[in-house]
Amino acid sequence: MLINKINTYNFFNMNCKKARVLMSAAVDSELNLKEEQDFLAHLSECKECHEEFREAKKTKMIIKERIVQFKAPQSLVNSNMQLTSIPATEHEDTLLFE
Amino acid sequence: MKKNEPVRQIKTKKGSLSREEQQKQLEFQKEAVVHLNSLYNYALHMTMNPDDAEDLVQETYLKAYRFFNSFERGTNCKAWLFKILKNNYINRFRKNSREPGKVDYDLIKDFYHSIKDTRSDTTEAESDYFHSLLHEEVYQALHSLPEEFREVIQLCDIEGFTYEEIANMVESPIGTVRSRLYRGRKLLRVQLESYAKKYGFNTNADQ
Repeated sequence: MLINKINTYNFFNMNCKKARVLMSAAVDSELNLKEEQDFLAHLSECKECHEEFREAKKTKMIIKERIVQFKAPQSLVNSNMQLTSIPATEHEDTLLFE
Repeated sequence: MKKNEPVRQIKTKKGSLSREEQQKQLEFQKEAVVHLNSLYNYALHMTMNPDDAEDLVQETYLKAYRFFNSFERGTNCKAWLFKILKNNYINRFRKNSREPGKVDYDLIKDFYHSIKDTRSDTTEAESDYFHSLLHEEVYQALHSLPEEFREVIQLCDIEGFTYEEIANMVESPIGTVRSRLYRGRKLLRVQLESYAKKYGFNTNADQ
């Protein structure tokens, strides 16, 4: 399996180790410019990390697209549309005080 | 905004609201209630039970409304609500929750089908049904992950929060969020391998 295969590369290539630290952030566009440059430079010369990057993006895409989002029940929507912080009686008191 | 109106314009009888309260309501609807579906879905994932999810969300909104003044305007209201929801969940449900790491696939399956069947929105029923069958596997794969991994993947991939927002929600450094996402996705990839092949995610189309 690909993952196991990749792990065997760990010991001789520090760049792969570093790339893996940055991997998720690269998938989520959370790298800063320098990190992104280093990461992409590494990918261009490392087939394994490039492949792993593609796989990670694919996994994200599956979750993003295929987890069904349910609609909240209408009763829940209704009960949260008109929340009030001041009970009616207290409110009247306040007004009287004005 | 002009300030030429008195704050409390309405002289009211019982049941009416002050101007101030009306404005608060309006702002709350615009800022907070719009995220109701997201909160409900997240609550469903955590509780695996529609009734509990509803209670949890209701409680979250009540609390959020009460403390709405302390919400820092201009920041992400959805993230603020999720944080409240998570705290509520921990206080209320986690004590009696399932053993961590133990996955009950039957429970997930039952849950998935019951929630699918009780959905009030039936306009897309047919395609949704197909949709659901197709995606149950993904749901199960996600729930097979240890909670700390599932949580960050949901917050990131489904809800679209930034790492900073997630770090704040899970009360861990950003580096931890990064590595949990990395490891979580790796685990997921194994789970989803056959799904990806079956439904064409294994093509070479690089995105």
